[in-house]
Amino acid sequence: MESLKAWAPRVLSLLRIVAALLLIEHGTMKLLHFPIPQPGAPDPLPMLLFVAACLEIGGGVLLALGLFTRPVAFILAGEMAVAYFTAHLPHSPWPGVNQGGEAILYCWIFFYLVFAGGGAWSLDAAMAKRR
Amino acid sequence: MESLNAWAPRVLSLLRIVVALLFIENGTVKLFHFPVGEPGAPAALPTIELIAGWLEFGGGTLLALGVWTRPVAFILSGEMAVAYFMDHFPQSFWPIVNQGDNAILYCWVFFFLVFAGPGAWSLDAVLRRKV
Repeated sequence: MESLKAWAPRVLSLLRIVAALLLIEHGTMKLLHFPIPQPGAPDPLPMLLFVAACLEIGGGVLLALGLFTRPVAFILAGEMAVAYFTAHLPHSPWPGVNQGGEAILYCWIFFYLVFAGGGAWSLDAAMAKRR
Repeated sequence: MESLNAWAPRVLSLLRIVVALLFIENGTVKLFHFPVGEPGAPAALPTIELIAGWLEFGGGTLLALGVWTRPVAFILSGEMAVAYFMDHFPQSFWPIVNQGDNAILYCWVFFFLVFAGPGAWSLDAVLRRKV
């Protein structure tokens, strides 16, 4: 099964793109009310949620393209950790109850990208090849 | 920043373990109502939910330990794809509206594990060293 490894950098890029697109949607929901407004979010957005939305849209776009993957992923992993500890953990220690499972998933996927990079299909990789 | 790559196999194992533990919780919520019962689930689980619960509990445990990581991850990735298209996608095209982002993230993380393997810290890696 080791031959599957050859495909890992490409599948890593797919994982990166899918996670980034889902994250962008969280940003557009907060900032643009698209496709729906975030349930329970006040209008206008408090400063903290506004910053979060900008990080999610801007960072998500960079991550989907695979541009500056490692530093961007580092910032977004931090954002998700803050989101988990401020918005979810106070409700319950169990992710199944505090609804923070998704934030944990994002946090760790992004943290892994800090170390693994953007994978085979990314602007980072394209630029490295040109050099 | 390429030197970060040296840590990627270890962080991959952390990602695998965290995702597997969250996944186990999905199973225990269905099967044992722990830490809470699944909202809206009937008291006697339908067969398909029962299968899903045991896949999540058993598969999640194997994945957390890193035993047979690739085949287990393949099955769980398939389970999440089925869950997304059966439960979530019919409700809306947008993951944030149909509440399926978790299923998508699990699906792709597991799919990546099929190719990347379990990383540095796993029973698979320990067994391989012994052989």
